[in-house]
Amino acid sequence: MSEVAARLPLGLSSGFRVLIVDDDPDMSEFLAHMLRAEGMDATTATDGEEGIAKVYAEAPDLVLLDVMMPGVTGFEVCSRLKSDEATAMVPIVLVTALDDSASRVRGIEAGADDFLSKPVRREELIARVKTLRRLHETRRELERRRLAAEVESREAIRRAFSRYVSPRLADRIIEDAGSEGELFSRRAQRIEVVALFADLRGFTRITERTEVVEVVAMLNEYFSILTDAAYHHDATIFNMAGDSLLVGFNVPFPQEDAAERACLTAQEMVARFAPVAARWEQRYGIATGVGVGICMGEAILANVGSPHYTSYTIIGNPVNTAARLMQTAPANEVLMCGSVYHKVRALLPENSVEPRGEVTLRGKAEPIAIYAARVAVVD
Amino acid sequence: MTQSAYTVTVAKDLADLIPSFMNNRRKELETLRAALAKSDFEELRRLGHRMKGAGSSYGFDLVSAIGKAIEDAAKASDAAVIGSNLDTYEDYLAKLEIVYE
Repeated sequence: MSEVAARLPLGLSSGFRVLIVDDDPDMSEFLAHMLRAEGMDATTATDGEEGIAKVYAEAPDLVLLDVMMPGVTGFEVCSRLKSDEATAMVPIVLVTALDDSASRVRGIEAGADDFLSKPVRREELIARVKTLRRLHETRRELERRRLAAEVESREAIRRAFSRYVSPRLADRIIEDAGSEGELFSRRAQRIEVVALFADLRGFTRITERTEVVEVVAMLNEYFSILTDAAYHHDATIFNMAGDSLLVGFNVPFPQEDAAERACLTAQEMVARFAPVAARWEQRYGIATGVGVGICMGEAILANVGSPHYTSYTIIGNPVNTAARLMQTAPANEVLMCGSVYHKVRALLPENSVEPRGEVTLRGKAEPIAIYAARVAVVD
Repeated sequence: MTQSAYTVTVAKDLADLIPSFMNNRRKELETLRAALAKSDFEELRRLGHRMKGAGSSYGFDLVSAIGKAIEDAAKASDAAVIGSNLDTYEDYLAKLEIVYE
């Protein structure tokens, strides 16, 4: 059995609880006595309304229900319980007079699971209740296993997704898949995104001087910091290539504060990498640092690729601009386009931002306003 | 219809329930008499039906038999038949001996 399934309580270990609904206390006592002698728990109700209330309050495993009661009859109790999803699964045994076949027909119509004749023969009572108990326990065990399997498969999906998106986002995606499942099946859509590109300044020189094994370990350390920072602010990671990372905000779920999240992510990336850069510098004599470009605007969100290889990605102007900004940014600097800056200026310390004026980026026709935020780093 | 004695054998494990059961029967007889005096046949039918269900469950077959007779007679509003059955019931309750085994 799996770990998850083993943690769930065993259905078979708990007691079997029977609710007896009968207006005649002699009958209730008799039935309760018989059931208790078989090791079951028995409680009683003296009329239909009390019976219904106790089914909701106590959630019994079985109901023994008298038909002929003043007020709400057994038929009514039965159909009311069977028509509510919350109580429909509770097995009901209607207790009817032996010679009353009309009652049995009405009982079947009301949804009764079984019948017991009055006067009650104890062998018949015990046999019927035991059969229903077995059925009930089998059903409960199957339900328990089904739930355990469902939890397990959700967990597996979540683990898989968590490698691409933040765990919190993974939960939302699974939720979405449970309800509508539209998120990834939707065709390409235009969407306002905040794209953040980050890469490692000085890394090319390190790769020229160190062993391959060491380079991989260093890259892993660097990407761990960057992805942690991204997930910390619920980014979606779209691409990892060489030493650069592309993450997006406001995708696939809307984030009101997408620009702020991007800015905080960039600062966290730079700041958290600083101690690593200091260590590397001591060891290899080469200065490194994270450079970041952020831009917002309309992009296309789509699954791009062939039937064999597909990449869930964002394409368009803000992505290209963020890439260009990243290439321009020196170590420990965050370059952002004007629209991002105007949304996040409140977050930034007074003198930490420097307007770089209108800059025409490589491959771009129109010049755009650029702002540079220096991140104060502690080595 | 009366007899000199009635003996009923009851399962030993029900012994604890019998005093209350018998007490309820004596109260029931009074209720039946009162209902008959008022010609409340609906009440008589209900009580007869209840006796029919409980009697034999405990091992008192005659309680069930009288109950059925009362239920049927009440449906036909037959006061005479009900009256004679109540006499039998009273006689039965007075002379009843219970053996547990």
